[in-house]
Amino acid sequence: MVGRRIRHILKSKEMILVLISIVIIIIFRLVNPNFLSVGSLSGIMQAMSLTGIIAVGIGTLLIGGSIDLSASSVCLFGGVLCALLIRANVPWGLAMVITLIAGFVIGVINAFLITKVKMMPFIATIAVSNVLSGINLAVTNAQNVPIPVESFWWGGKLVFGIFPVPFIIMTLLMIVYAFILNKTQFGRNVYLVGGNMTAARLAGVNPKKIHTILYINSSVLAAFAGIVLASRMQSAAPQSQSDSQLNALTAAILGGIAFTGGAGGMAGCFIGVMLFSFFNSGLNSLALDAYWSLIASGCLLIIALTVDYFNELSREKNLKVKKPASAAKKEGA
Amino acid sequence: MSKYLEFSGISKAFPGVQALDNISFRAESGRVLALLGENGAGKSTLLKILSGDISPDSGSIIINGKTQVFTSPHQAIQAGVSVIYQERQIVPALSVIENIFCGDLPKTRFGMIDKRTLRRKTEEILKVFGLPIDPDEPVGRLPVAYQQMVEVMKAYRRNSDIICFDEPTAPLTDSEINVLFDIINQLKKEGKIIIYVSHRLAEIFKVTDDIVVLKDGKLVKTFKTSETNQQELIRAMVGRDVGDTYKNLKRNDKIGDVLLEVKDLCTDVLDHVSFTLRRGEVLGLAGLVGAGRTEVARAIFGADRITSGEIIFDGKKVHFKEPKDAIKAGIALCPEDRKDQGLVLFRSIRENTTMPILKKISKWIFINRQEERKVTEEAVTKFTIRTPSINKLVRELSGGNQQKVILGRWTNSLIQTKLLILDEPTKGIDVGTKAEIYQMVCDFARAGLSVIFISSELPEVINVADRIIVMHNGKITGSVLREDATEENVLSLAMLE
Repeated sequence: MVGRRIRHILKSKEMILVLISIVIIIIFRLVNPNFLSVGSLSGIMQAMSLTGIIAVGIGTLLIGGSIDLSASSVCLFGGVLCALLIRANVPWGLAMVITLIAGFVIGVINAFLITKVKMMPFIATIAVSNVLSGINLAVTNAQNVPIPVESFWWGGKLVFGIFPVPFIIMTLLMIVYAFILNKTQFGRNVYLVGGNMTAARLAGVNPKKIHTILYINSSVLAAFAGIVLASRMQSAAPQSQSDSQLNALTAAILGGIAFTGGAGGMAGCFIGVMLFSFFNSGLNSLALDAYWSLIASGCLLIIALTVDYFNELSREKNLKVKKPASAAKKEGA
Repeated sequence: MSKYLEFSGISKAFPGVQALDNISFRAESGRVLALLGENGAGKSTLLKILSGDISPDSGSIIINGKTQVFTSPHQAIQAGVSVIYQERQIVPALSVIENIFCGDLPKTRFGMIDKRTLRRKTEEILKVFGLPIDPDEPVGRLPVAYQQMVEVMKAYRRNSDIICFDEPTAPLTDSEINVLFDIINQLKKEGKIIIYVSHRLAEIFKVTDDIVVLKDGKLVKTFKTSETNQQELIRAMVGRDVGDTYKNLKRNDKIGDVLLEVKDLCTDVLDHVSFTLRRGEVLGLAGLVGAGRTEVARAIFGADRITSGEIIFDGKKVHFKEPKDAIKAGIALCPEDRKDQGLVLFRSIRENTTMPILKKISKWIFINRQEERKVTEEAVTKFTIRTPSINKLVRELSGGNQQKVILGRWTNSLIQTKLLILDEPTKGIDVGTKAEIYQMVCDFARAGLSVIFISSELPEVINVADRIIVMHNGKITGSVLREDATEENVLSLAMLE
């Protein structure tokens, strides 16, 4: 029994990802002995937490069978809004609450467009994303907004001298969401709606309600990620060089969350984020051109999905081999 | 040398079913060969293999002495195989011309579509078929039979030697069927090899020359149409006397008061549908595909919008906006398409069973796993679902066991189902499990549940239900008691013009 359980874990998607991560870490470590020194580790954790927080929202939405392409813009918008409020002498706690409420409202708009106006999630969220990016640039004149309030800079602090605060936040969020997804009615409904919306509806689940909550959740988390980023940078940028939602999507899918919905989980998501970040910072430590890191991260996604495909294929074959035996049993009975 | 098509030792397995088991037979040119068998016998799978849609696990297809391996539909078309499916493969918005030449439009020297040649060729084909069709009409606006003809013309245009029809008459009216048969006879005269899949016996005697009977993926026997009769074919198809299955059912003899009253129900499809249903009664809904049976179920269940009319359920006038509300009131639906509408295939038996009762097995927001396991195990035992574990993915179960999971979902100790609607519950299920499901339906009635039993298989609906309502074109055309029901009188109501 225990043996079977261990074999099950060894064969799981998460395990494959952990193995890939270890191989990658070893390779980078061999090439560059400074990779993963204690100092750089904090930096990697710091960098991954933004991707991670957004991935929690996008990941749960993906499991629920939909997609949100406005997360990056909401994140930047959240940072800018929070920074502007603080500069206008709003206490930073209150500024954060207002920003989160703004995220909530954006989520409601996304959900309204998709569940009521029946727009395609792709189109609706891209449209919202464009509007927000425009507002960001207009309000800031495309300039960074520095935040001169030192007490707000908690995002750059370390816990136990190594763990950055954002990393702690991301880890806690993932634990909480893993719990929600696995143990609660809502979490179960997310999987059911993502797995088969029609069947879920005909069995008494309200898919619109689930999707509405998930969109709001995704936007609130993205706005929160924006706050965390602003706090760490001590300023808010209206536009960013790297696309955080694409990173989050890549990490979530790397972590085994199905693009088609209904499968995956927070554990995989966490490992996906780790894998993605280690890989990226490993590449950076080689001091290659940025183009190469883009090419390599694309390849990483392709490799991970290919491995996953063959893994699934072998499972399917096992299914077939078993069948004649069960057919024979039926005839015997 | 005359042309022929030979299947040689074809086998194909799907998770949970041996769909085809070593099938070998030969079809000759200038003859129509019928593939006959119940639902789930393997007819469609065989056609899909011939059309290159799926590849067999073993065995081969031989056309005129040449062994063919199709890995895509395109290759099958190149080899001269055309399959005309029940779900038509036309582009409704494009014209007849464009549909006929779809994928192979003649081009002018400049790479533009050669409209003149196109029109000339289309008119030639139309003349051969002798049909009054305007070549410029969008196909979506043609009557169903002509849409099908457009597909036949497409096959003809490709010069296919092998033309297969998958249940072609299902959506057709009598006069339309005659048009189809004329065309088939003409194709036959031209020396085509024709494969005709159907389970309507009368047609098979009208149009075919040879008959291959399949059952549970095995080839039972081949017949010459002129040398056999209906009884013999039915025996071959079913493999035993069906009458007994129905005679041995333990039915409910205590039918109670009225549970459901539907008055002048109208939706986009339904036209003033009215009927009543008593507690402990099994009500059959018969009719051809598209008659509106499924829509009745969906309207009652709150899945489709009702435009007018009223529903009285359990003494109260109700108007369900969402299935959720209907479930709360005690109505359950096992939808027509198990895989697309009934189950979340990539989740476990456990998760599929407890979908509507999550709230009842939860404390605050947390699901009580023990409670959940108990309910699921109860369902697995009650319906003898064959599985090593309740955590097995539903996808890995056979069709019959999948259906039982849905039944378990709606009839366990934690859900108060008063009305159970079964839409094609035996579709694609093997004969043995079918008999089990009939008895379950009767057991539900004996336990006081009312059942609406929708089925396209006439023998089953007229033998299992206590009373049969027949529908045609969104209207109810008649109601018959089981004692008075025959396939003939129900079918004539179903085809009423």
